[in-house]
Amino acid sequence: MDPGAPRTAALGIRTPNPDYVVALAGNPNTGKSTVFNALTGLRQHTGNWPGKTVARAEGVLEHRGRKYALVDLPGTYSLLSASVDEEIARDFILFGRPDCTIVTRPRRLEVGAPLARAADELAVMLDRAYPGLPSARWIGMRLLDGDQRVREAVRGGADILARADALRRTLDGAFRDRLVEAIYAEAQRIAARAVRQTGRARVDADHWVDRVLTSRIFGLPIMLATLALVFWITVSLANVPSELLAGFLFWIEEQGAAAFGRLGVPAWIAGLIWHGTYRGLAWVVSVMLPPMAIFFPLFTILEDLGYLPRVAFNLDRLFRRAGAHGKQALTMSMGFGCNAAGVIATRIIDSPRERLIAILTNTFVPCNGRFPTLILLASVFVAAALPAHLAALAAAGSVVLVVLIGVIVTLVASWGMSRTVLRGEPSAFTLELPPFRRPDVIRILYTSLIDRTLFVLMRAVKVAVPAGTIIWILGNVPLGGRSLSALAAGLLDPLGRAVGLDGVIMAFVIAIPANEIVLPTVLMVYAGAGMMIGPEGFDNLRDLLVGDHGWTLLTAVNLMLFSLLHNPCGTTIWTIWAETRSPRWTALGALVPLGVAFAVTFATATLARILGWI
Amino acid sequence: MPVTLESLAARLGRRTGAVLRLVERMHADGLVETGPSGLRLTATGNDWALQVVRAHRLWERYLSDQAGWPLADLHAEADRREHSRPPGELDALDAGLGHPPHDPHGDPIPTASGDLERKPSVSLTRWPVGVPGEIAHIEDEPAAAYEQILAMGLRPGAQIRVIESTPSRLLAEVDLAQHSLAPIVAAGVAVRPAAHIPTPVGVPLTALRVGDRATVSALDASCQGLTRRRLLDLGVTPGVTIEAALPNPFGDPLAYRVRGTLIALRSEQAQHVIVDPTTITRGAH
Repeated sequence: MDPGAPRTAALGIRTPNPDYVVALAGNPNTGKSTVFNALTGLRQHTGNWPGKTVARAEGVLEHRGRKYALVDLPGTYSLLSASVDEEIARDFILFGRPDCTIVTRPRRLEVGAPLARAADELAVMLDRAYPGLPSARWIGMRLLDGDQRVREAVRGGADILARADALRRTLDGAFRDRLVEAIYAEAQRIAARAVRQTGRARVDADHWVDRVLTSRIFGLPIMLATLALVFWITVSLANVPSELLAGFLFWIEEQGAAAFGRLGVPAWIAGLIWHGTYRGLAWVVSVMLPPMAIFFPLFTILEDLGYLPRVAFNLDRLFRRAGAHGKQALTMSMGFGCNAAGVIATRIIDSPRERLIAILTNTFVPCNGRFPTLILLASVFVAAALPAHLAALAAAGSVVLVVLIGVIVTLVASWGMSRTVLRGEPSAFTLELPPFRRPDVIRILYTSLIDRTLFVLMRAVKVAVPAGTIIWILGNVPLGGRSLSALAAGLLDPLGRAVGLDGVIMAFVIAIPANEIVLPTVLMVYAGAGMMIGPEGFDNLRDLLVGDHGWTLLTAVNLMLFSLLHNPCGTTIWTIWAETRSPRWTALGALVPLGVAFAVTFATATLARILGWI
Repeated sequence: MPVTLESLAARLGRRTGAVLRLVERMHADGLVETGPSGLRLTATGNDWALQVVRAHRLWERYLSDQAGWPLADLHAEADRREHSRPPGELDALDAGLGHPPHDPHGDPIPTASGDLERKPSVSLTRWPVGVPGEIAHIEDEPAAAYEQILAMGLRPGAQIRVIESTPSRLLAEVDLAQHSLAPIVAAGVAVRPAAHIPTPVGVPLTALRVGDRATVSALDASCQGLTRRRLLDLGVTPGVTIEAALPNPFGDPLAYRVRGTLIALRSEQAQHVIVDPTTITRGAH
């Protein structure tokens, strides 16, 4: 076995037997990833840092017969660790001891005399206790600054720690300022020696583009047009592959069930496996995959161009009033694709309080699993009441209205939470506007398809499989002459009636893993079927809903509202847990929207009753 | 002044009966004893009290620096939090804040081992007229007087000079503005000899219009914690040239160019960045 293996394993390196481990460190948006991609091409692993929710990229480079494992560390502003990203970078460099770290790292800082003396004194003590320690003086400064991880690393030297604590009290409070100033002064000296700048043309061109994109006249229209274009492309391109995929996957279901029949497998086993488990899986994949595979690359192009931070910049005022961060506009946009992806995207917000706000309210943006329900209800109820030439317009208008309600609820909920449950969380605004870049198409396809689409899809599949099974059981196991699903619907009927719906709200409970299967479950219950069915299975959906089940316009409106506002799907709840690792925030993330959904629909139902509309 | 049940009850705003039960329990736990001049803390009681004071002041520091709470709200919330968290969490909090020596009111924070720094300071009412001093501490109780002091803009660390002191009124100059204080209010302000740190002179960054450039002279002392750290990390340090580069459709935030990078600052952050007015060069508008 390679003697280097235990060490590289401890670093979390996945490249087998590298000759050298090289870390890339530096500020965000300084081209670290560009260097990384240029050197490694597609020979990369991506994933998360162990136990952390920060993306990690590792790649391999072979040069003159040597194998280099390259690790792209999270972008950090400094090693004075203030965020998880910075802690990871610091730990990797300090404790992982890569063979080489590519970074503009200050060697000898010109700090003020008192600080320099204190750091030197500690460096002498450290050197005596740990001979051969590199950058003892820097570690001395970290001790003066009270860095807990560095303290733990030298906990053997109790006298050193005590001396550091005593020295800290002799320094004035602006100690950290001096340190950062010194780091920048040193960086400037290095830059003056090593960097050549050729002209200002790039900056001026960028500046001109920025003036247009953020201008009073064009800023907001350009933004709305861009986002509308992305959604339009997604919706119009996703339809055909979605239908083809559904056709193919459901054809497999039929073949599978038929084959089981020929083999003499009992019908209930064939039903459970093919019409339950498999059907849930097929449904989620065919509805989710095509729109995400189109939406995420488009969105990543905008991200790669550098346009998205400008959107956050344009809208920050609005979000600031709600106690939130302008970047929440981006995580909300991502939520239109998938709320779980929207929750993951909140990593771009590096202020803890604002990030939590964005996580907890993301579900108020309807994801593409809920759009089909909204569109269907809008066309069956709103549009059907109008002459044909207005129908399409009215249906589109009501969907837009629902989205607007979602945005308003997001802002109100953000405002409320930032002043109550989240008030004690740390907060600091930062928003960098990186230079515009030419998008790297291969990289975009890779990150958006592998990291986003497949990642979210795998999570959704893991929750859809048990759900499909359970839904089939509920639809097929009888108890006292009725199926369990019908019984559950009957049980929840009074609650449903109170909010202007009926017992079908139980579909929201059992279809919690994915919003895609809410409507098929509703239709299953109404039709008394044993498996989920789509709206295509009905010749006249309106007759079924209005005629057989007494739906009114209020039922349709409230179902749309409930679908918009209710608790996030199981995948998103899981993702909230994965991102926050907090039972408290996960529970709030699920229950606050549920409470809002009941409150709003109860209000509209009560209002409608008082006014005598139903 | 002897500590009695009655004086404690008056200070805590509770009935004497309730305070009696409290003192009995503390007595049973060995935290208080009866001395020649009334009740007093035992050595154990004193250690406990210092840890509660430490918790209170660390939480005030946290709420002010990290969560951005207004000074007037700190005391009540820190009162709630000071008893509820385990000591281990307190050490982590202390480390996370970078072992701050003082709370936002200027009071020293005891260390984990119970050391408390004591710097001599006197009440503003007894500070000699005309001698420059530095505000060492502002008492946050009673709340009404504290809010009045805050409303005048007085902060720990601010330079102060008493212009006139009479039994009915005290006139003081703080950061070039004159304030008149009732003696009862002035008693809550403690002053010590001025340190020899020149106060930064200048105008806030918000004074720049788009296209203007200036040199940063300092970050405002009231800007601490995460916000200060982020500003420093982004390269907003004294001596750097900063340019107001880009407005947005609503006028706020504004994007500034510093060290070749474009960063957006909200107006409440830009206010904390002090620039040297003599270095402002007006750009084309």
